[in-house]
Amino acid sequence: MSTVLEVLRPGFLLRDAMVASILVGVVCPLVGVYFVLRRMIFLGVALPQLSAAGIAFSLLVHRTLIGPHLHGGASDAMMAQIGAIAFTLGGILTLAALERRGREIVEARIGMVYAIAGALTILFIAADPWGEAHIVNLLKGDLLAATESSLAFLAAVLGVVVVVLLAFQKEFLLVSFDRDLAVVFGKATTTWDTVLYVLCGITISFGVLAAGPLVTFGFLLAPPLTARLVTGRMLTFSIASAAIGGLTAFVGFCAAYRYDLPLGPAEVAVSSAVFLAVAGATRLQRALRLHPA
Amino acid sequence: MCLLRLRDVSLGYGHRPVLEHVSLEIVRGEFVALLGPNGAGKTTLLRGIVGLIPLLAGALEYDLDRASSPLGYVPQRESLDPTFPLTVFEVVLMGTYARLGPLRRVGRQERALASRALDLVGLGALAGQRFASLSGGQTQRALIARALAARPEFLLLDEPTAGVDAEASAAIMAVLSRLNRDDGLTVLLVTHQLRLLHGLASAVFWVQDGRVTRRRVEDIGASAAAALGAPAGA
Repeated sequence: MSTVLEVLRPGFLLRDAMVASILVGVVCPLVGVYFVLRRMIFLGVALPQLSAAGIAFSLLVHRTLIGPHLHGGASDAMMAQIGAIAFTLGGILTLAALERRGREIVEARIGMVYAIAGALTILFIAADPWGEAHIVNLLKGDLLAATESSLAFLAAVLGVVVVVLLAFQKEFLLVSFDRDLAVVFGKATTTWDTVLYVLCGITISFGVLAAGPLVTFGFLLAPPLTARLVTGRMLTFSIASAAIGGLTAFVGFCAAYRYDLPLGPAEVAVSSAVFLAVAGATRLQRALRLHPA
Repeated sequence: MCLLRLRDVSLGYGHRPVLEHVSLEIVRGEFVALLGPNGAGKTTLLRGIVGLIPLLAGALEYDLDRASSPLGYVPQRESLDPTFPLTVFEVVLMGTYARLGPLRRVGRQERALASRALDLVGLGALAGQRFASLSGGQTQRALIARALAARPEFLLLDEPTAGVDAEASAAIMAVLSRLNRDDGLTVLLVTHQLRLLHGLASAVFWVQDGRVTRRRVEDIGASAAAALGAPAGA
C-alpha cells in the first residue's frame, strides 16, 4: 500500500514512466480487441518484432548515411520512430493485401514475417556496433527513459488512435464481424480494413518504442483475452480490456518499483497472471454449474 | 413491376463460371425461391445478386436505389464467428448501419428499429442474451431481424432453414410469409427443401447443371424432387 501511495505522489520521480506504462496498457488492448476477434493473434507477435527490426534498420541507416548516433539524441529517436512506423505499417498492409488473395496458410505467412523480422533485427544490430547498447535499450523498450515531451507526444498519438477507434467503432465492428453484410450495405470495406490496420500499426510502433516488443505484445493480447472471458457485450468487452490493461500496467509498475524488477516483464507477468486467474475462475465456475455439489 | 432483372448473367469464381446465361426477373411483392440440389450454384447466384461476387458476364439491374433502399441480407449462420462477444440486440442493431454514414452514431431511432425488428420475429425477450448462445432457429430469426432493421424492400436469405429442426423451420417460414403478405416485402430465399415452399412461394427458380429456369412450385416434378432428396409434393 505504501508503494502505491508513493507512486501516486505528485512529485514521484518516475511519474512519466508510470503514465507511459498506463497509456500503453490502456490503448494496446483497445487495438488488441480486434486482433483477438479477427483471429489475428499471431500478428500481435509478428508486428512488434517487425517494428523492432524497423528501429534497428533506421539506426543503421542513420550511422551509414549521417554518422555515429548519439545516445539519447533527438535524431536517434526520430529515426527510430520513422523506422518503427514504416516497417509496421508496411508489414501489416502487405499481410492484409496478401490475405485477400489468400492461397497459402495465413499463419505460415505471419510466422515467416516473425522469423525474418527477428533475424533482421539481430543482423542490423550486429552491423551497427556504434549504437549496439543503445539500440538494445530501445528494443527492450526503455519505459524508464520516458520524458515529459516524449510522454506528451505518446499521449497525443495514442489519444488520436482512441478517438478514431471510437468514432468509427460501428464500421470496424461490421467489417470484422460480417464483412459480407458490409459489402451488401455498400460500405467501403477495404478502406475500413486499411484504417483499422493503420491504427494497429501506429499503436504497435509507438508501443514498441515506448515499452518494447514484449510489453506491446503482452498488452495487445492478455487484457482482451481476459476480458473476453467475463464480458458478453462488445462495448463492455472493449472497456474491460482497456481497464484491465491500465490496471495491470499500474500494478506491474508498482511491483517492479517495490521489488526492483525489470519494468516491462513485471507488467506482462501481472497481466498474464490476471488472465490465468480469471481463466481458472471461469472454468471452475462452469464446472460447478455443470456438477453442483 | 420488376424489382430485379438479370440478363444473360454468368457467375463463378475466378474466371471459372458456375452458372451461365442466367436470365430472370423478380416482381415487387413476390415470394420466390432458388431451389436445386446441393452444389448446383444457388448460393453463388444469391451472392452474385447481392454483389458479393462480380458478374463474369451479363447485366444485373435493380429497380431501387441501393444506397437509400438497402437490401435485407441473411447469410448462412455458419459464416458468423461465435466468439464475438455480442448480444442479440447488438447483432440486430448492425442492420441499422446500412442507413448510417461514418461518424453518425446509433441513436434512439435505430434502437427502436432494432427492438421492433426483434419483436417482429418473436425474439424480443432474448435481446440481452448472447448471440452465440441462441439455438439454430433463433439465430436465423435474429439474422432476419437484423436484415429487417435495415428497413429493406427486398429480403434475400441464404438457406435460412438449413440445419434447423422442423418446428423452427416452420416458425421461420411463418415469419417470412407474414412479412411478404402483410408488409409487401419481396422475398428471395435459397433452399433445397421443397416442402417449405408449398402455399408460400409464387415461383421457384430451379438451379441445376449451370442453368436456371423459372417454374411453379406445383410443377416441380418427381425427378426434380428426387434430385433434392425429397418425394414430389413433400
